[in-house]
Amino acid sequence: MNLRRVRAVAHKEWREVLRDRLFFTLAFVLPAMFMLLFGYGLSLDVENVPFAVVDHDRSAASRDYAYRFIGSRYFDFQGYAADERALDPLLRDNRIRVAIVIPPRFEENLLAGRAARVQTLIDGTLPSRAATTKGYVSAINAAASRERLADYLAQRRGLPPEVARARLEPVQLEVRYLYNQSLSSLHSLAAKLVMLILMFVPPLLTAVGVVREKESGSIYNIYASTVSRGEFLVGKLAPYVAISAVNVIVLSMIATLVFGAPFKGGPVFFYAASVLFVACTTAIGLLVSLLVRTQIAATLVTVILTLVPALDYSGFFMPVASLSADGQVMAHLLPAMYYTNIVVGSFLKGVGLESLWLELLVLAGYTLLLFTVGYVLFRKRPRS
Amino acid sequence: MGETALVTDAEPAVIRVHGLRKSYRKRLAVDGVDLVVQRGEIFGLIGPDGAGKSSLMKTIAGVLSFDAGDLEVFGVRLDSEAAAERIKHRLGFMPQGLGLNLYPELSVEENVDFFARLRLVADQELGERKTKLLAMTRLDKFRDRPMKQLSGGMKQKLGLVCTLIHEPALIVLDEPTTGVDPVSRRDFWMILSELVAEKGITALVSTAYMDEASRFHRMAMLHGGNVLATGTPESIRALAPGSQVLVEAEQPLAALACLRSTFPQVEMKGAYFSIFVDEAEAGRAKNLVQAALSDLKYNVLEVDAPELEDAFIALLRRRGLVSAVSEAPAPASSQQAAPTPQPGGETAIEARALTRDFGAFRAVDKVSFGVSPGEIFGLLGANGAGKTTVIKMLTGILVPSAGSGQVAGGDVRTGGVAIKARIGYMSQAFSLYLDLSVLENIRLYAGIYGLSAKEARSRIDWVIEMAGLGGHETERPADLSMGMRQRLALGCALVHRPQVLFLDEPTSGVDPVGRRRFWDILFRLAREENVAILVTTHYMSEAEHCDRLALMYAGRIVADAPPATLKHEVENEAGRLLELTVADAARALALLRGAGYSGAYLHGDRVRLLSRDPEGDSERIHTLLEAAGGGLPAASMHTRSLSMEDVFVYQVTALERAAQGAPT
Repeated sequence: MNLRRVRAVAHKEWREVLRDRLFFTLAFVLPAMFMLLFGYGLSLDVENVPFAVVDHDRSAASRDYAYRFIGSRYFDFQGYAADERALDPLLRDNRIRVAIVIPPRFEENLLAGRAARVQTLIDGTLPSRAATTKGYVSAINAAASRERLADYLAQRRGLPPEVARARLEPVQLEVRYLYNQSLSSLHSLAAKLVMLILMFVPPLLTAVGVVREKESGSIYNIYASTVSRGEFLVGKLAPYVAISAVNVIVLSMIATLVFGAPFKGGPVFFYAASVLFVACTTAIGLLVSLLVRTQIAATLVTVILTLVPALDYSGFFMPVASLSADGQVMAHLLPAMYYTNIVVGSFLKGVGLESLWLELLVLAGYTLLLFTVGYVLFRKRPRS
Repeated sequence: MGETALVTDAEPAVIRVHGLRKSYRKRLAVDGVDLVVQRGEIFGLIGPDGAGKSSLMKTIAGVLSFDAGDLEVFGVRLDSEAAAERIKHRLGFMPQGLGLNLYPELSVEENVDFFARLRLVADQELGERKTKLLAMTRLDKFRDRPMKQLSGGMKQKLGLVCTLIHEPALIVLDEPTTGVDPVSRRDFWMILSELVAEKGITALVSTAYMDEASRFHRMAMLHGGNVLATGTPESIRALAPGSQVLVEAEQPLAALACLRSTFPQVEMKGAYFSIFVDEAEAGRAKNLVQAALSDLKYNVLEVDAPELEDAFIALLRRRGLVSAVSEAPAPASSQQAAPTPQPGGETAIEARALTRDFGAFRAVDKVSFGVSPGEIFGLLGANGAGKTTVIKMLTGILVPSAGSGQVAGGDVRTGGVAIKARIGYMSQAFSLYLDLSVLENIRLYAGIYGLSAKEARSRIDWVIEMAGLGGHETERPADLSMGMRQRLALGCALVHRPQVLFLDEPTSGVDPVGRRRFWDILFRLAREENVAILVTTHYMSEAEHCDRLALMYAGRIVADAPPATLKHEVENEAGRLLELTVADAARALALLRGAGYSGAYLHGDRVRLLSRDPEGDSERIHTLLEAAGGGLPAASMHTRSLSMEDVFVYQVTALERAAQGAPT
């Protein structure tokens, strides 16, 4: 390995990346932009659900019931509607996602001790959001019923209201979420987004960077010269690993400073593990570049090969443990899951090498394997 | 193969190829090639696209594996990747594609430095060589300019500098001159010839331009992966002995029919016919042509040695690799009944002081010319001279900054839609839909131009017949040869019977036989259907097919006349072309330049110069060489007629000199 030749290749590559506007954007702007856009758009929390109320009763009780929703931080009151027909256009145009319909004689029924029926209409286009919304509606409704019951009990037995409530709910459950106390999906998502972006941007850069030399013919400068395969690969890929190593810092800062994710682990461990991971994904890009001929094909193959597994088999949306048996095997075969564990451990759990050494080892093995395959497949005297 | 005995020298050959075969999946690219290249030669590989030149060169450069056969470079058998590595320190390789192997974002100097560092050239040596090579290629003023901002010719020269920076013993250059303007091409050959002579480098160079063959010491003619012939340009020409007879006839269409029935190779060149006769003796060749034309009125202008391209086609014909060269339909079968009549005297295309600025840059500067119906008008110019911009303005795609123009009766400023309905346009890219069949492509264009169903049917039949695509109707263009694809594209551009046809570099990448058929069709369109044709081309030999030529330089038209007139003008102004064949051309060149012949240049292994007094100069040069001694006195000298390329280069260099000499 002659360092002068490695340096010549790396130097040339570095200058090209800095000067080529498209490449510069791909290297430095795209990852941060992707993080911001994805992070803002992908929050799984359902809050401020827009809703409307149809109140056929117009009584003190019906108003009281409606105010339970209007006052909730989960709902965003858009106003009263005259009747059910008026709800249709609102739901259709996404101006509201939920409606509460209070029937006539609501108060009368309640006072008479009969059950009062309230209808809720929920936009079911996104099932998970609809389910969450239904949960909110049920909870608020249950609280309203419980309170009426407690009032009734208090009146009949002459108990203080607190005692009446305690009698109604003898066992109370107290929940405390660990690692993500506020249960904000954004916190865990922001951390995993770092994984997602480092999974697909470094290979994209690398694959396009190598393939464009094949496309233009400048790869023949390498084939026809005395530079060895190893020298070329090291020189060519080092700048991409370096760029991605910078991106690790940028993305982590966005996760913590912009999206408020905590960082509880050791920065040195996390950074070292991240650099190993981007070296690994850079090697994926190298493999893609050896299989395709055009930059378009390189882009498509890279995105499919990295983004799909990174979303489905990494624990990004769904924990690996709840995947099907096949899915779990897949997840264990791909590097994304191991780095997800490292990211979650470093950001949310505050654990380090002592519990993540296996993940690190797997990634190191992975990287070594990919580079070896890449080195063997890269030919200076190809068949076509 | 086998016509030339291999040179048996004490010194081993630099390249030795035997029975080399290479295929890509199903496609056979190189089919049993034998070659020997000696040290110090400029060895040419010449042949059309797809002949196997690139594959052969890549295997020789050790950057492509091959399937069978033997290949030795510098005595090393290239039978493995490891073996190929052993020759690479002595090798420079420039792949095909103008400047494509360079790095657009890096400056001229950074590009050179990268190639040098890749080859571990020491800093001091690098500095010296860089200074010398950049000065020689006149790139030294542009050291800091990013490569992407260089012109085509400069990119090509930078590519050469980068290939030579480690002083290789063998350079392999794949089509270094394709797409480069003639001035830069000539410049390139001069630099290469001088370097080869000075350093004793061996060069393997390929080209698709037949007229560049005389640049080579020896060459191999390739066709379909085979070597058709190897030897010096002269010895190859001698393989297909014949004469070229130039005839002018009063009734060109009738004359063409007569000539075609007798001779397989007849070409129209503007107002003349150029006929290849399989008879080397001039008198007899002339008699044969006269017999064929019998009672027609004609005038035999010249009987000459044939061009290499003619010899190439004749060779193909004799070996049965092409049947007849001119398969265009007989005149009677085409729609003579429906020529598009034009009111007499009206011009089909007229440009009046057309000007176009892009920001501060004036791409086209007061360009004026007219093209009559039935005329083939050629627009020639270096890359970036403004040819395409002129076409875009005339076709209504681009609005002129100043000036006006009429095309097919419409004003280029206001009549864009009317113009587009009346013209046909064919670009270099052929604009075909590769996933549609031949028939579907024609039908699509018929639909675009709003032809009625009946008309469309008759035009589709016409296009299929004109383009010789019968039997290929359901095939996709991707499976057709380049020549067929080109004729299909032409057919699509003609489906609505346009009165004016614009062709922007239409013959790029088409083999010589295909190019001839294409020009045949153009000639008939012009003569039979009275279509006005404006064509741009970078094949100088093709320019001679035009009735009239305009030379463009830096956005202006600097000459506008029939090809013969352009040649006469240069001969009157600068004199005749004198060619000197001599054993040591490099030394003779130095001697001539020293004696005041500053315009002398190397052309392959010959020295050429323009002389107003050929006889006097011949004598003076003889005396000069005699005095020098060595192998020089054995020189022989001929005058040659100028080619279109000579004219172009002369005009443009004169203008460049004038521009440089202008007071600043």
